[in-house]
Formats: sequence, structure tokens, C-alpha cells
Amino acid sequence: MGMPSSRISCSGSLRPPSSAGGRHPFSPKSPYLAASSALLDESLLRKLEVLSLATRRPAYGQLRGMHRSRRTGSGLVFTDFRPYSAGDDIRRIDWSIYLRLDRLVLKLFEEEADVPIYLFLDASLSMDFGTPTKLDYARRAAAALAYVALLNHDRISLVAFADGIVQALPTRRGKNQAPQAFRFLENIRASGQTSLHATLREFFSTPRTRGIAIVISDFLDPDGIEPAFAVLRRFRHEVAAVHVVAKEERDPPLPEEVVLIDAEDGSANELEVTPSLLEAYRETFARHVRDIEAYCRKYGWGYVQAATEVPIESLMLRVLREQGLLR
Amino acid sequence: MRFAALSTGSAVLLLAAVVGAVVLLYLLKPSPRRITVSSTLIWRRVLRSRRRAPDRLRWWMSLLLATLVALCVALALTRPRMGSSSTALHGLVLVLDNSITLSARTSDGRTRWDHAVERARGLIRTGPASARYLIADTQRQIGSPHFEEADAALATLERLRVTAGGEPVFPQVVPPGDPDLRAVLISDGVARLEVPGGVESLPVFQVADNAGITAFDVRALPADSTHQQAYVEVLNASPAPRAMEVSVTGAGHPPLTRVLQLAAGASARELFDVSTFDAGPLRAAVSMAGDALSADDVAFSFARGHHMRRVILVTSGNPTLERSLRLLPRVQLTVIAPGRYTDRGGVDVWVFDRYAPPQPPAAPALAFRPSRVDWLPAARGDTGETSVSAWVRGHPLTEGLSLQDVIVSNALVARDVNRFEVICADAQRRPLILASLHGPRRVDATFALDDSNLPQQAGFPVLLSNALEWLAGESRSVQARVGLIEVPVPAAKVLDLQGHAVPTRPLPGATLIEAWEPGFLTATAIDRRVRVAVSVLDPAATNINASRFADTPAAPTFVSEPRWRVEVWAALLLAAALLLVLEWWTFNRRLTV
Repeated sequence: MGMPSSRISCSGSLRPPSSAGGRHPFSPKSPYLAASSALLDESLLRKLEVLSLATRRPAYGQLRGMHRSRRTGSGLVFTDFRPYSAGDDIRRIDWSIYLRLDRLVLKLFEEEADVPIYLFLDASLSMDFGTPTKLDYARRAAAALAYVALLNHDRISLVAFADGIVQALPTRRGKNQAPQAFRFLENIRASGQTSLHATLREFFSTPRTRGIAIVISDFLDPDGIEPAFAVLRRFRHEVAAVHVVAKEERDPPLPEEVVLIDAEDGSANELEVTPSLLEAYRETFARHVRDIEAYCRKYGWGYVQAATEVPIESLMLRVLREQGLLR
Repeated sequence: MRFAALSTGSAVLLLAAVVGAVVLLYLLKPSPRRITVSSTLIWRRVLRSRRRAPDRLRWWMSLLLATLVALCVALALTRPRMGSSSTALHGLVLVLDNSITLSARTSDGRTRWDHAVERARGLIRTGPASARYLIADTQRQIGSPHFEEADAALATLERLRVTAGGEPVFPQVVPPGDPDLRAVLISDGVARLEVPGGVESLPVFQVADNAGITAFDVRALPADSTHQQAYVEVLNASPAPRAMEVSVTGAGHPPLTRVLQLAAGASARELFDVSTFDAGPLRAAVSMAGDALSADDVAFSFARGHHMRRVILVTSGNPTLERSLRLLPRVQLTVIAPGRYTDRGGVDVWVFDRYAPPQPPAAPALAFRPSRVDWLPAARGDTGETSVSAWVRGHPLTEGLSLQDVIVSNALVARDVNRFEVICADAQRRPLILASLHGPRRVDATFALDDSNLPQQAGFPVLLSNALEWLAGESRSVQARVGLIEVPVPAAKVLDLQGHAVPTRPLPGATLIEAWEPGFLTATAIDRRVRVAVSVLDPAATNINASRFADTPAAPTFVSEPRWRVEVWAALLLAAALLLVLEWWTFNRRLTV
């Protein structure tokens, strides 16, 4: 969804960077501003600065980040003492204990690590539906999440999938990778049928560090979600499902007699649409949504229903925070 | 099945066109819109959970319903008529007895005629589809019965009525030896009909109580013509003894009433003194509880009243004429010689014998071979012996009279008869009796009674009576039975006692009155007026239980059709409406497309 260029012009009217840790990446001459113009406007980017991805488990990242991990090192949070061994960094020796006990003891701190974030974006033909299209909405949500992750020094992998991996952006880390991530997302085009299971199997066929898998999809997968999510469970990734729903899907405006064409496989179904049939459809669709949510809740995963009529700003700043995906 | 509105071929074409049009419309039905959705995954789940007939079957069901609706409407337009497909019977002759006894009421309050018509309708409506029907009646209301379609036969049936009077006759409408013809007589069996062999009889007879007047007349006493008696004969035709009341009513006197107790089949003859009644109609009536036939409960006659006609005979001596005049009822006769004649008042009729005053009298006059005067037709010479060869039959003077054998030995040859109507004449068209056309009424016989054999004729008193009545301006009265009555008044206007016009038919010199119920009628022409007392007065009509059929104890045992009957076209329209409702329901339930 392109935004008006007037709203994202990098004029000198931009306010100074916020005081939130002095981490604002943009200056009046920031190179990221133009890169973000097609997906997210400047004001939203500013509001996203205060957010970070919430993790329920210690991070397994190898690099320094902003998430708690099980490793001890040069963090700020004290965890324990241990006797000095040759080769230890003498800067961690607690000299006050040495003076009192005449023993060399090292102070241990909890090391903060980064989190690998795998962001799967459904780019099947079923996403090219609605106003705005679910794909546009999904790529904006993905861009916002990627931006938040990059700001927090998390490593992020972007994967566009349909019946397999369509496009993938290798792992990126650091806020200066945001423009590349945005361009990647902008260039995604809808194609093919949905097969989340094939996608996840293909992606995790190579060893991946345990992290957060965010799946942004309409989950209209003929094979269902269970086989796909079983892959994530096997690798014990933390999962967040962002369920993109168009208003036209929840309450389809159909004439009395219609032939419905499936956007993905082209199959046709002739219907005589009656109020009772519509009611049955609404109930079935709601059950479909409830089933996905129940599955996620069952395994302690995050689930967010992203209705395309809800502004992306509300999704990021309110809905995702309420659901605990962002903090 | 037959079609009233179209020929069979046209109807079949219409139905085929309707079916073709419906199928074509279904084939031309626009296909539904094609809409692309993100996925039909949810829809497929919905449709799996809803049991749904295959689309093709639903399409056929819808087409079938629409075709049935269209066919019902189209068939209704053709006005079909159902009937058996049997072609064995080609014609049904229905002879309905519509004599007066058919108007007797049965125990269900309807008449025998109602039941007869109902049975006839039932036979027509349930008859074979190809059959034709001939409706005839015993009273000859249908002049020329002919075979016709069922609808026309039903219409003919509706026009038939019970007719009083006349002798019921079985019409000659059943050709012998036709195996495809069925003939049915629907009757109560009272009328004595000569029914041909092979004719089925459908009885509509049920025993009922009835009492009726079988005779009613008013006569002057022979000894005293100023006294009049009404003779009333009453018959109890009920199957049991019954009490009844007989009354005679007229103008100028309270009704005369008697209560009678009559055994079954017995009759009573009652005399009522009606001398004190004013001249005018008399009505005799009998009333009895539960009387089934009302037509014979009243009868009418005419009372002359007690007014005497003052007649002066001016003659030199004619005992025959004098005696004849004296014997006429209500005649107060004075005989004077011609020399004593003076025109004076208080005279109803002058009778001149071989004399005529020079000046015309103020009162009407009857003259036999009058002397030559200006106010009578001029006469010149004598006829010699001659005889009556022609006479006017419609004139009041000649009513009930024959002048066939009247021979005149000598008569005057009347000339200049413009102001007179020739009542009778000889072979040379020489007038023998003349009656004035305009002005004061005069009757001029150009011969003397002594010169003819008229006084020896049986009709002479009748002629005198007719002449006095006409000259005195008295109305004539006629007693007749109900039915067609001929009155000798040409182009008469006939009114009943309430002043309602009675249907008439003109006849040469007379008028035929259609009097189907008892009453007192007055036929009026320009210068004449005739009273007609119409009554049933028929013991055979009163005796409504003298049937050749056995009694049907209760009316409901008569085979009757339903009170209301749905025509086929109406049923088809109803079916179309129901099918439309069904189609609407199935469409809304998505059982059809």
C-alpha cells in the first residue's frame, strides 16, 4: 500500500530524535526515510521505536542483543560468582572479595543476546484479495515487525511463501538493514497456492537457531495448519500467528446466484446464496478462525487476528501489544 | 377431454407452445455471475455440511413446476370439460316432465321440479365427453328440440319452467332403434304420458299433502237472476283426512269462509251466496297446513253484481223477442208500442222491432229491420231469400255464437255503411247485421225476426245477450285455465290485478295471453275490455299423489349433485396458484433453482 510521498518527505521539519535511549536512527538526512516510504510512513516509524518483540523464553542468539539469555558474560544483570581460572578476563575479578578473603573470584553477569526472528509472509494468490488486499496489509505488518526487530538488534529472516519459498531475504541484523528489508517486502507479488507445511519444511531443512517464527497469513491452506505448525513445534520455536482477515471474507457481499472462483486453484462452485447459507458461512469462517487461535493457545503461542480494515498503526501499537507479541 | 374455448387441435398446439416457451425461457436463463474469492475452502466446508440436491435435479424440478403452472393456466384458458373417454354413447335425450304437479314441494322444501332439473344436470355433467344432449319437455316449451353440446344443454335446461295448463305430452324426440342413444324421462309420474319403449324413467315423486280447488263458478239463480251463487269444489288429495278452510272473497262484502274436514281423496262441493258482492273479481281460496302445491289453492271468477239492465222493447207485437229478452238474466224489460215511443232517460238499451224513431235515441239501440231513418244505414230494395255466409268472429256480438244456419227470407239491402261494421253478410256480401263503429252503439239487423229462422237457432239468446252486454257497455268475462289463453280482443293490453303487464302474443283478431299462474286479468283494446279469470281448476293437477311411481319416503334419497361444483377451469387455476406457492416455497428453500 503506497503512502503519499508528501507525508514521508524528509524535509527539515522533522523533530529531533526521541529521547528513548537516543536510538532514533533517522536524522533529517536519514537514508532510511525514503526506503520506508512505500510501506510505512514516518510517524508510524517514530511510534515503532519504543517497541520491541517480547519473548517468553531466554534467547539463544550468539550475538549481543537486548534479550535475556542463559549465557553469562558482560551484561549488566549480576547472576553469580565463580573462582578465577587462568585466562579469565581479569576485569571481572571482584577486588573487594579478594581484599576481604584473599581469593580471586570472578563476578558473573547475565549476557543479553539477540533473537533470530523468522518472518514468514504468505504471498499466495488468496492474499491478493480484499480492499486493501490482504497481501498489502500483511507486508506492511511484516515491515513494521521487521523494523521493530532490527531496531532491537535482532536477526531477522524474511520469507515470502506460497506453495513453497517464493523469495527469502537472508538474515539481516541492525537498523541499517531496514531499507533492504522494506524493498524486499515491496517486491513481493502474489502467486501460487498456499502450502505452509511445504514452506516450513523447506526452510527448516537447514539448521536454524531456535527463535521466534512469525507467520503472517490468511491460513487458507487446503492441508490445514496442523502439519505446518508441527514442524515449528518439533524445532521448539516460539511461534506467533498473525491471521490476516479481509472484511469481504468475514461477510461476503454476494448476489443470489453466483459462481465462486477460487483464486488459487481456479475451481468453481455454483451457489444460490440465501441468508441461511450466508449465516452458515459466517459460522464456518468464525469456527476456522477459532480453531487456529485455539491451536496456538494450546501450545502457548501468540495469535493475532489482523483485520484489514484496522489501521496498521492500531495493529502495531494496540493489538499486538495487547496480545503480548510486542512490548 | 373436450375444450369449450378452442378446438382440440388448437388446444394441443397452445399447450405445446406454452411448454416450449417455458423450456426456452429456462434455457435462456442468464448464467450466474462469476466472482473470484480468495479461497473456496470455507465455502466447500459449508456446502459439505448442507445436504443439497444436485443442481441438475433442482433445475429439472424447477422446470417441471414452472411447466405445470403454465400448463394449468393454458388449460384453464381452453375451458376443458372432463368426461369419460367412452365413445359408445353418442346422445342422451332428456325429457323433463314440467307439468304443474312438478311444482309440488317435497319434504326438503324444494320442489319436484328442482330435483328433476338437478338430476338432469347431473346426467349431463357426468355424461361421456363426446355425447350430445337433447332436452325436451312435456309442455312443449321447447318448440324444436335438437341435439347440442353439454353447455348449451345446461343453458336450455335453465330456461325450462313448470307450466300449468295444457295436456302434458311425451314429445316425439326418441328415434327408435338407435343403440347409441339413451333416453331418460324425469317425471313425478302423475301426468299420463305415453312413454315409448326403451325410455328410462327417473322418478322425482314423493307423497305430499295437497288440497285444491277443482271447480269455481258464479251463476245467477234461474228463478231469480238477481241472485248469484258461487260454486266451489274442493278436493283433498292428501293421503290422510285433513281439515281445511275455504273462503270466497270479493268487493263490497266480507269474505265468506267455511271449514271443511275431508277424507283422503274426497271432495266437497260448496255453494256461497254472492248476490251481495259488487260486480268484479271473486277469489276462492283453500288453505291447509302443509299444502305442497299452491297453484291450485286459489281460483278466480267474476261476479256480475245485482245491477238490472233496463231494456225497452218498441214493437207492434213480437212475443218471441219479448220472451227471449225476459229470459235473459238481469233484464228489466218494458214493452211499448211505437206510437208511445218518446226518448227518455233511465234506459240502458232500446230494442226496436220493425220500427225506428226519426231521431236517434240517446241510449244504445238494437233494431230489427228498422224503418228508414237517417241515423241508421240507408236501405234500398230487398234481398229476397238469402242466408248468412260469413260473420266476424272477433266481435263481442258473435262470441260463442255460430250464425252458420241462419236463413233470411227477406232483408233490406243496406247502403252507405261507412260508420258501421258488418257483423254478418250473405254470399253477395250484403250486410245482414251491422254494428256501429263510432259514437253511440247501435246494432242494425236488416231483417225482421219473423223473416228469418234466427229465433229458432240455439244461439239466438246468446246473440241477444251479447248484444245487450255490448250495447250496455258491460265488460265480458272469460274463465280460463292457466296456460295460453286466447281472448277475442285484437292487440289487447293485458294487466293483472296489481296492474302488472302480462306477456301476450298477437293473433289475427285475438290476443294470446301467457298466464302461467292463477289470477284475474283484464284485456283492454280500443273499445273493448274482457275480464279473464285464470285458475287451475284441474282435478288431475290437484291430485299430485296419483303417481305411477312408488313413493320416495324422504327427499335426501334423491340423487343430487353437490350444492356447489367446481368447474375444471377453476380447479386448474386453483392448482396453478397452489403450484406457484409450492414453487415459491421450494425456491426460497433452495430446493429448486
